[in-house]
Amino acid sequence: MAQNVTNVAQTEEVTSTRRVIAASSVGTLIEWYDFYIFGTLAKIISEQFFPKDNPTAALLATLATFAAGFVIRPFGALFFGRLGDLIGRKYTFLVTLVIMGGSTFAIGLVPGFKVIGFAAPAIVFALRLLQGLALGGEYGGAATYVAEHSPEGKRGFWTSFIQTTATLGLFLALGVILIVRQTLGIEVFNDWGWRIPFILSVFLVGISIFIRMKMSESPLFAKMKKEGKTSANPLAESFQKKDNLKMVLVALLGATAGQGVVWYTGQFYALSFLQNACNIEFVQSNMIISIALLIGTPFFIVFGSLSDKIGRKWIMMLGMLVAVIAYRPIYTVMYSEANLKLKEEIVEKTEKKEKFEVKGADSLITAVTTKEFTDGTKYKETVKKKFPVDPEKKAAMPKDKLKPETKKEVTLPQDLFYKMIGLVLIQVIFVTMVYGPIAAFLVEIFPTRIRYTSMSLPYHIGNGVFGGLVPLISTRLVEFTRPAPGAPPADPLFGLWYPIIIAAICFVIGTLYISNKTNNLDTE
Amino acid sequence: MSVIKRIFGLVWAAMGLGIIPLVIMRAMQEIAEKPTEENWIFWSIVIVVLMPIISFSLITFGIFALKGEYNTLAN
Repeated sequence: MAQNVTNVAQTEEVTSTRRVIAASSVGTLIEWYDFYIFGTLAKIISEQFFPKDNPTAALLATLATFAAGFVIRPFGALFFGRLGDLIGRKYTFLVTLVIMGGSTFAIGLVPGFKVIGFAAPAIVFALRLLQGLALGGEYGGAATYVAEHSPEGKRGFWTSFIQTTATLGLFLALGVILIVRQTLGIEVFNDWGWRIPFILSVFLVGISIFIRMKMSESPLFAKMKKEGKTSANPLAESFQKKDNLKMVLVALLGATAGQGVVWYTGQFYALSFLQNACNIEFVQSNMIISIALLIGTPFFIVFGSLSDKIGRKWIMMLGMLVAVIAYRPIYTVMYSEANLKLKEEIVEKTEKKEKFEVKGADSLITAVTTKEFTDGTKYKETVKKKFPVDPEKKAAMPKDKLKPETKKEVTLPQDLFYKMIGLVLIQVIFVTMVYGPIAAFLVEIFPTRIRYTSMSLPYHIGNGVFGGLVPLISTRLVEFTRPAPGAPPADPLFGLWYPIIIAAICFVIGTLYISNKTNNLDTE
Repeated sequence: MSVIKRIFGLVWAAMGLGIIPLVIMRAMQEIAEKPTEENWIFWSIVIVVLMPIISFSLITFGIFALKGEYNTLAN
């Protein structure tokens, strides 16, 4: 009889914990989805909302907006973290979900630059900041909430489900974009179809809010509140007290900064590298990333669970170390497998087509060259030249406006496609090693009364600022190696030095100053 | 181990300090050579956002380490 009662109690506890994890994870996944559709559609957004006169400036402006989304995250961490430590975890991360869903939905409705001029980029910029702010408050809340429900000795395992959400959110974003694009066709998608993934968010967020409304407050926080032990000023307590500030710094420099750059290199930079340095065709490059993410995602749980048994530190440190060592060799292989100069062309299969059109006052010449290679690789180059029909107007135009627009698309054969998936998958495994145990690590080093505030800031500076700036800084580093404007870069892998150096420093600091011991959560 | 942690503390603090003139000089040089919008945006993000975070955290962390605050491992 007593045994039966114990079994029922255990089953109820497991069901309740599963419910907590599911409700927290679904909301966080949707927040990541919302955040990443913007980044994934950066190119289209730049065309829609930023002046087209200078495409590079437009793209950079979008990247800056993208970075702004990341840079604002620490402020969201402070604002919502404080709120979470004052009024509770449940209501705080419910608010962040509403803000994220609302701003994502609104981005899908903003008229383009052609319709409302400079108001368009200004509104999009403001909404992007709101997204960053909301995300800054979400993750710490979800991780803290799940950790405070988790049984001792299982915290790494339970919180690792929250850790899968960032990757699954990116996977969902890529999946939805690919499906909508394939269904509507490229032209319609580029025209207005890109809005659908943003608008879709409102339904996903609605479901998540409904689920979260039914959840109860974290037991540790509820107990503290009942006993009147909550912090009166979590910000001051977190960052003005030396003992806690020490932990914030070691968490940032010894763990989250390295984790951030490894995360963004293995997922975002890999996609950008496939598309821009290797010129892999849009659908194929997204498929490579999506499949690698899907296969790699369970490893978050594997490493989270393993960290309960052998400690958090060495799994994270090993992840950083292997990333530092392996990035250059991995990207060298990725680049060479797509490098057409290393392939043998089947000359008789080369085709060239040219089309001349008059569109209003402009002439448009479209030249399409297709090539095939002995290993099965296919290449398509589309060059579009647009100039005024009137020769006088043409002669008066600045040279850079007459520059043709070139689009290169490489489609890999099946064996190389799988090889690319394997190479990205290795990077995703590094991501799972550094990211799987980090939520449990962060919640355990800070006390309950200021946990939400204290863990959110180093996480979002590491992940958002150090990691979020990987595309911007790495792209820029590659530009340094370009001998002349328009010439190919001398070292297309030069951008990797940013994540390599940050992860290497983080590895040394983490190894020297972080303990491998796992802690129980206090209620003081 | 404690001695190594303290010595490295000096390295982190020096690194945090050293980054400031290095980044500012590089930014000034690049912007003077090519005062484009892209350059301004890029270096503004680096100088206003990234550099202060790296410098402040490394210097403060380095000083703590130098004083032996991390002699007991962080856990």
